[in-house]
Amino acid sequence: MTREFSELTCDRCGLLTEHELHYAGRLLESVRCTSCGHRVVLSHQALLPAYLHDLEHRVLTKPQRMYRRVTRDPAGFLVGLPFALLRQPAKFARELWSLVRR
Amino acid sequence: MTPRPGRSSRAPGSERTRAALVVLAAGEGSRVGHDTNKVLLPLAGRRVFTWSIRWAHSLPQVTSVVLVIREADRDHVVRALDRELPEVDVRVVVGGSSRHESEWKALQALAPDIRSGDTDVVVIHDAARPLAGARVFLDVIDAADRHGGALPVRDQPALTTLEESAGTVRLRTVAVQTPQAFRALPLLEAYTRASTDAFVGTDTASCVERYTDVAVRCVPGDAGNIKITFPEDLFLAERLLAKADWDLSSLATRPTPAREARRRRGG
Repeated sequence: MTREFSELTCDRCGLLTEHELHYAGRLLESVRCTSCGHRVVLSHQALLPAYLHDLEHRVLTKPQRMYRRVTRDPAGFLVGLPFALLRQPAKFARELWSLVRR
Repeated sequence: MTPRPGRSSRAPGSERTRAALVVLAAGEGSRVGHDTNKVLLPLAGRRVFTWSIRWAHSLPQVTSVVLVIREADRDHVVRALDRELPEVDVRVVVGGSSRHESEWKALQALAPDIRSGDTDVVVIHDAARPLAGARVFLDVIDAADRHGGALPVRDQPALTTLEESAGTVRLRTVAVQTPQAFRALPLLEAYTRASTDAFVGTDTASCVERYTDVAVRCVPGDAGNIKITFPEDLFLAERLLAKADWDLSSLATRPTPAREARRRRGG
């Protein structure tokens, strides 16, 4: 689960206020107005299929993205590869946890 | 007919049109709290502002890109460009306190290219509209090159004005979107004169209409070309991108209601 902050127009306040955004993987899961607390949440029924569709796209485009990185910076790519591979299980576990704990 | 100075002899609306893309990502100014510009938010694995640059740059007509930012966002923007658009040469310009001032700064950065005739058309786009696909960029570039200026618009049938006596619709009300495109030289001249007069326009077209006699045409906008304003817009943008398989580079004709109905019938 990653968290971002940004200014958006709140539906309830009608004002440009700071919002807290939560992401599950690449997908936006919820947005909360920090001024009035109004929260917009993607329903579980919508989030899971959207996550699986997104995950499929991430997996299919991974070789292309890796190829781009290796051609741009071969040394950096090779140095970072073991750490990136080691990070993946924990990363996916966190994403799945954020989906099932709702 | 003698060609205009600084303008190459080529057919208007051709693939040889050279367009400069100006993406406005400087925001609106009033900042509170964490101060993150919405165009820097993640959207389906990329930052909001890089999506539309990607689609515009897929066109051979788009030969240069200027991104207008706020100074505070520079590091964040440069990192995102390096990661998400390494193949695109983007000139980063710091914007002003208004949209008009940001446009003027971008045009000043493009002025040498425009005066030398290397840029025929300037396309101005709001970075908060990440779903502007290649089709709409091509439509405005083509129309601007042929006629002078072009705006994508969407009909708003719920917002028409009725004539009281007859009860008939008098006006067609439309919502204007970006990208908006204009012939480069008249646009630069309009903004130069506006600067001299200290005129601040509400949008690009208002300045062009005030200082030039360039014809501004409307082209069909796209219902999916939403502007990220409310939190719900981010959810919608994610869904629309997923529905398009994260690819808006297609130049295929947009589905019209009639064409869509035929497709459903299998015709």
